[in-house]
Amino acid sequence: MAVYTPEKPLTQADITGPGAWWCSGCGDFGVTAAFKEVLLTLVNDMKVPLEQVFIFSGIGCSSKEPEMLRVNAYHGQHGRSIPVAMGLAAANPGLVVVDFGGDGDTYAIGMEHFVHACIKNVNMTLIIMNNQVYGLTKGQASPTAHLGLKTSSTPEGKKLRPVNPLKLAIAAGAAFVARGVSWNKKELAQLMLRAIQTKGFALLDVFSPCVTYHREPGFRGSGPIVDWYRTNYVLDIRDAWREMREQVFTPEEQARLPAEYDPTSPEAATHALRLIEEAAKLGREVTGLLLINESVPTMEENLGVSKERAPALVDISVRANLKGYQELLAELR
Amino acid sequence: MWSVQICGAGRAGDGTNTQVLTLGQVFKDLGAWSFIWREEVYSNIQTRDSAFGLRVADQPVYGPDDEFDILEAFDQGALVDITGGVRVPPLARLKKGGVLIYDSSPRLEYPNAGHEVHPEVVADVLERQRVRVYGFPFGQTARERFKNYIVRGTVALGVVAHLLDLPDEPFLHRFRRTFGEDSDLYHMNRDAFLLGRQMARQEGCERLGRRPDLTPIADDQRQLLLGNEALALGAIVAGCRFYAGYPITPASEVLEYMAEKLPRFGGAVLQADSEMAAAHHVIGAAVAGARSMTATAGPGFSLMQEAISAAGMTETPMVIVLSQRGGPATGLPTKVGQEDLNEAIFGGHGDFARIVLAASEPEEAFYIMEKVFNLAERYQCLVILVLDQMLAQSSYTIPPLDPSRFVIDRGKLLDAAAVERLYRSNGRIDYKRYLLTKDGISPRVVPGTPGVTSLYVNTNEHDEAGYITEEMAIRKAMVEKRVIKRTALIRQDPDLPPPRLEGDSEGRIGFIGYGSVFGPVVETLQRLAERGQKAKFLALRTLWPFPSKEVKEFVRSCDRVYVVEYSAGAQLLGLVQREATGPMPRKLRSILRYDGRPMTPGYILAEMK
Repeated sequence: MAVYTPEKPLTQADITGPGAWWCSGCGDFGVTAAFKEVLLTLVNDMKVPLEQVFIFSGIGCSSKEPEMLRVNAYHGQHGRSIPVAMGLAAANPGLVVVDFGGDGDTYAIGMEHFVHACIKNVNMTLIIMNNQVYGLTKGQASPTAHLGLKTSSTPEGKKLRPVNPLKLAIAAGAAFVARGVSWNKKELAQLMLRAIQTKGFALLDVFSPCVTYHREPGFRGSGPIVDWYRTNYVLDIRDAWREMREQVFTPEEQARLPAEYDPTSPEAATHALRLIEEAAKLGREVTGLLLINESVPTMEENLGVSKERAPALVDISVRANLKGYQELLAELR
Repeated sequence: MWSVQICGAGRAGDGTNTQVLTLGQVFKDLGAWSFIWREEVYSNIQTRDSAFGLRVADQPVYGPDDEFDILEAFDQGALVDITGGVRVPPLARLKKGGVLIYDSSPRLEYPNAGHEVHPEVVADVLERQRVRVYGFPFGQTARERFKNYIVRGTVALGVVAHLLDLPDEPFLHRFRRTFGEDSDLYHMNRDAFLLGRQMARQEGCERLGRRPDLTPIADDQRQLLLGNEALALGAIVAGCRFYAGYPITPASEVLEYMAEKLPRFGGAVLQADSEMAAAHHVIGAAVAGARSMTATAGPGFSLMQEAISAAGMTETPMVIVLSQRGGPATGLPTKVGQEDLNEAIFGGHGDFARIVLAASEPEEAFYIMEKVFNLAERYQCLVILVLDQMLAQSSYTIPPLDPSRFVIDRGKLLDAAAVERLYRSNGRIDYKRYLLTKDGISPRVVPGTPGVTSLYVNTNEHDEAGYITEEMAIRKAMVEKRVIKRTALIRQDPDLPPPRLEGDSEGRIGFIGYGSVFGPVVETLQRLAERGQKAKFLALRTLWPFPSKEVKEFVRSCDRVYVVEYSAGAQLLGLVQREATGPMPRKLRSILRYDGRPMTPGYILAEMK
């Protein structure tokens, strides 16, 4: 039952919450703006009832996302949004599940759940606002902080090897792996919509710069830190494909492979991994749509549940099930 | 009461568990009542010596007695401590004048090499105890006659059938059920069983005697099941349609049962990647509107503490079954304990209302699940059912179970029409998850309910709509809603199972306990009565909110009260003192067992001081 009609479409105001949590210039505003556009598209163009959308978050700046919105949501504890989302997805596969996490929330304290959600191929979308620092606790290094980054917990520069979530998600078999950037709303919204439409587990890692605690020599404040990302850090996978062909692929492969990067190719996983490695040699992180693979059954399919057969909605009255219960009893006599 | 007790002792892989279970089923089919427990099962997967117990009686039995009438030995570990240590072998519990049946053939097949039975090693004990000893080459016979070594256990069953003077048909009935009518395995087991009986007859084995006539019950609807199976069944009948769990002894059978049965009813079972994940899966499914549950033991329960607090803060109906074993940490994974009561009642961080229930035996475990799920949804809170290994992993014959007695009450869960009526204003539905109501319980909705787009569940302190707040007045109102009002409301709920009073209400000797101590304590009362001592037992079924009034009155009516529990820390006694009586050092005594072994009437009588 669609609540919003062509005569009265869903508006930004309908989905805006009271929250005002982030510093001026925070990348997370860009993520929120893109998500609101996606919600409007889902409801107004694709006729998904808004009540079927359920978002999750954990703890961190990123996790204030539900505060900024007015949609059904669960705001949980640090690192635990994914397992709660998995339970909800299994109990009612008809819901559109989108989980907002941070790089600390998901890639440190929630890592167990992240990897297993990829492996189990839960039909949900995980959007990470990755900013390399723990903003909410005032700027300590996060698992994705790059080598050498000076923060309050790494006064001599980050020494521990950073986590690469894209490599992990690819290796763990996620159905969709992409990285967006918070300063390009149009592309980010496209990636979000595609992630949500993908059958299976979708990781959308988003560089969402922290304007307060992420400090690079020579770059301070919201404009400059975005400049640092653009000029010093990111590399679009499509550009990497064109520019790094000769370093990454053998002449035979080069002759065989298409001119443009194809995330739907059966070889996308290995291609992406090789390009990530090559980009890392230059101190770069890839962005863009790396991989879509919908050929693997989802967790929900493996559990035998569906929109039509949702554990949360089946008739649990004793009368409707009595015959089945009597059979259970007979089996134990 | 007539009862007979049999021990099947061998190595893991010898099939003694199966034999004992078959015998228990046969006795049930003959109209008797069986109790089957793991007398000695070590927490390892190698083929170590192990022992299973069967107690049969002409009335329901809920625990082991002290001594065995028959010891069936497939391994020398049944007679002596083969580790050369201080282990007490099952022979030590064989009754004076009891029967020892053993496999006199050498070990013929991997993996059970060595430790063949040599009763001559304990000849002095056997003579002193006047044990009747019968050796049969079960292994060799099975291998020669049936080309199947494993079937030696069925040959032994034939001997036991002769000793106990049991008819063939109930055995054949069980073989048919297990192996399939007319299957090769059925024929093999039938022939092996009949051969065993013939061997016993030829050997001139003397019958055990003094067995009352057993009469099969027409259309016998009684159950023979594990405590774990009983509660899992009860959960399904109570409408549980989502189960998440991580394998752990002694709760794994719940996961296995649910995995096999729940899909039939449109439910889902998610084997989680840790207990931490499992507990959060349960919260997610409960938020989605499914009646949801997990089961675990102490170590897993510790991993669930974070989720417990989340359920408390978010006011999510959550059900956890906690099967206790010896602790702390990995402790005694396969042995009984009651050391996690404090964690069940006081675990999790922060203040929130919760309910902790217990069951004494499987029939109670089945029916209590109706209350567990109704209370969880009525009060939108955590309900923990506390069990222990003896109850969870022992099989009991219990009276017929009636699922039609279950009434499902989902509390303030609104359907779409009610939502429209209550929340529609200014053209939109303004649902508030934490609406402040008079009784402190806010109406719930299932996500996906038409028009509801403001269902916000939050583990941060929140306002009525779910949005984060730290404002003093709202914080205070929310705490009072979650903790104070709710606890007061729960205390008055007639669905909280009252304590069960057993024995002579005039008695001045009292016992208090919960869980599997039920059987042994009730039998202790009978033995005391035989000596002319009046005694009574208060079996607790609601542990939180603590039944202070009932316990206080009970203690007042006694001269001496023994609190019986599997906890060196006397956790239940501590609760009684804190919540009901105060210290009362002269009147209140503990009877504790913390060596991992089951209580028996003899143990309790010996510990009464």
